[in-house]
Amino acid sequence: MNIFTGKLWDILRLGLHSLVAHKVRSGLTILGILFGVWSVIAMLAINEGGSYEAQLALRRMGSNNIIVSSVKPPEESGASAQSFGILEYGLAKKDVARLRSNLPGVVRCVVVRRTQKYARVAGRSISATVIATEPAYSQIAQTDMVGGRFLTSTDYLRSRPVCILTASMARRLLLYNDPLGQTIWLGSEPFTVVGIIRQLPLALAGGASDVENYIVIPMTADLARFGEINIMVSAGSETYEKVIVSQCILQMADEASVINGATIARSMLQRYHEKQDYEVTVPLEIIEQIKQQRRLWNFMFLVIASVSMLVGGIGIMNIMLASVTERTREIGIRRALGAKRRDITVQFLVEAVTLTTFGGLLGIAVGVLVPWAVETLLRFTTIVSASTLIVPFVMAVAVGLASGLYPALRAAKLDPIEALRHE
Amino acid sequence: MAKALIHLEELWKVYPVGPGVAALRGVDLTIEQGEYVAIMGPSGSGKSTMLNLLGCLDRPTRGRYWLGGQDVSGMSDDQLSDVRSRRIGFIFQSFNLIPQMTLVENIEIPLFYQGIPRRRRRPRGMELAAMVGLGDRLDHRPSELSGGQQQRAAIARSLANDPLVLLADEPTGNLDSQTSREILALFDDLHRRGRTLIVVTHDKGVADHTHRIIRLRDGLVDSDRRNHLRGEEA
Repeated sequence: MNIFTGKLWDILRLGLHSLVAHKVRSGLTILGILFGVWSVIAMLAINEGGSYEAQLALRRMGSNNIIVSSVKPPEESGASAQSFGILEYGLAKKDVARLRSNLPGVVRCVVVRRTQKYARVAGRSISATVIATEPAYSQIAQTDMVGGRFLTSTDYLRSRPVCILTASMARRLLLYNDPLGQTIWLGSEPFTVVGIIRQLPLALAGGASDVENYIVIPMTADLARFGEINIMVSAGSETYEKVIVSQCILQMADEASVINGATIARSMLQRYHEKQDYEVTVPLEIIEQIKQQRRLWNFMFLVIASVSMLVGGIGIMNIMLASVTERTREIGIRRALGAKRRDITVQFLVEAVTLTTFGGLLGIAVGVLVPWAVETLLRFTTIVSASTLIVPFVMAVAVGLASGLYPALRAAKLDPIEALRHE
Repeated sequence: MAKALIHLEELWKVYPVGPGVAALRGVDLTIEQGEYVAIMGPSGSGKSTMLNLLGCLDRPTRGRYWLGGQDVSGMSDDQLSDVRSRRIGFIFQSFNLIPQMTLVENIEIPLFYQGIPRRRRRPRGMELAAMVGLGDRLDHRPSELSGGQQQRAAIARSLANDPLVLLADEPTGNLDSQTSREILALFDDLHRRGRTLIVVTHDKGVADHTHRIIRLRDGLVDSDRRNHLRGEEA
């Protein structure tokens, strides 16, 4: 006679029987497992969603890019670099040439010069960040054209006074007039609007979170009209800065050359720069870091979840032990009427696993609802994948088995004669 | 000897407490198919030990126990469970029905552990319930039944597996005299139908119903004789 064929359903009925007989007790135990499973699902879903969003943002930066930016070096006593009140730092044209020729696998190299200028139209004046760059910028940044065109090589070669606005900049400057063909003034120079882009890619905003208010012009036009020295006016005093290249974006052939190129770029720049007036950003590295971080978080969540499952498991063990003690006489009767030790073990194990299975199923139901609520109410991406649901459920069932085993074995070990005498 | 239903040979039971307490000290006994036997004796005489051994709930320390031609004295725990589920019917003083199960489910328990599926257990359970006059109480819980009804259900349960022998331990100990008489009448009836019954009791009234009275004293058979009141018809 095999326990696992005809008997299993009977034993399951038996288990349900005694669980129904102790509704409150069973309900509380199920609740413990429910919360365990639910919290694991919620944590996993939110964690996965968060890292997915971050990765998506970084992918938009371009996982094949190496971005070298000029940064203001930390202030030094004596301000040694300041000659005639002009602060000179950052990447030079020589650096760009070196990077372009020494890094294996460079597909494109685009240089950006970022300055702060006043943009004026019909008496309205707005402080704007001006991106002076080359036509290839659009390929690297994957600019999303709303209207018009991007910079062309003719614009670049002839230093034409044309500009591309981000959509929100166009709205602020020109209100709701059709911006294309209009003239705006940067300082005292007129520029014609030839195109509108949706926004600047996050990576190229240079660390600023604002990606909306930019004006893009040909780099040649910038240097020809405004020169190399950038005058910054802040709090009533003027600072003079000379930064030839704000940013150099290198698009690489593949991810392997990104990793390799980043190492070379770093050591090369270190050799030619005395001060730390540059920064090498590799989106791919950050993506990897995020992935690693996610693995760490997932592991930690799993540990936390295991603790809550452990608590649930202790609850089950407690209840099962109480149940065994309470039903000692029943065990004795069953043994006298022909139950083998194995039968008793299976009976109590099935009860424990039934409890956790119910808890697990309810936990999944709640666990799916909560990320959904988080997503709709807090606009936070959550990802409920199959493994997010299955892992906690399997954990719950395993907890049922593990914590039910000891009480079940204890029940089976009872001496039938002693058990029958138990009051 | 081979024909005997129960045959005990130099049966010892020593409990490993301190120096060792011998509850049975070499009992020889033969009980034939169809006998109605009472086992009596003062407390401490080895009655309970005897019952546990006969019911295969325990194993002898020494000696042999043949049940239905099978030596069960050296069997493993699982084998003994199997013997209990197929060959022995228990009737207890306190009925020992499982409270959360219905009457018919209680009757079916021995069949359950034989691995007989529900659809074949149920007709048998209903038939036995009807036989002890509880055919209209199938779905009642034990707590909804009187003591006499509970004991009748327990008797039905002891018959479920069509056992070789019925072992009753003070079957009327928890019942009033009227109900006791009913239960004993049921026993008589079972005996007439050829069942082998062994009743452990200290109640002379119960023993008087049986055909053979075995008295134990200090772990040995003190006397073993036909019951003069009933013996002749056996």
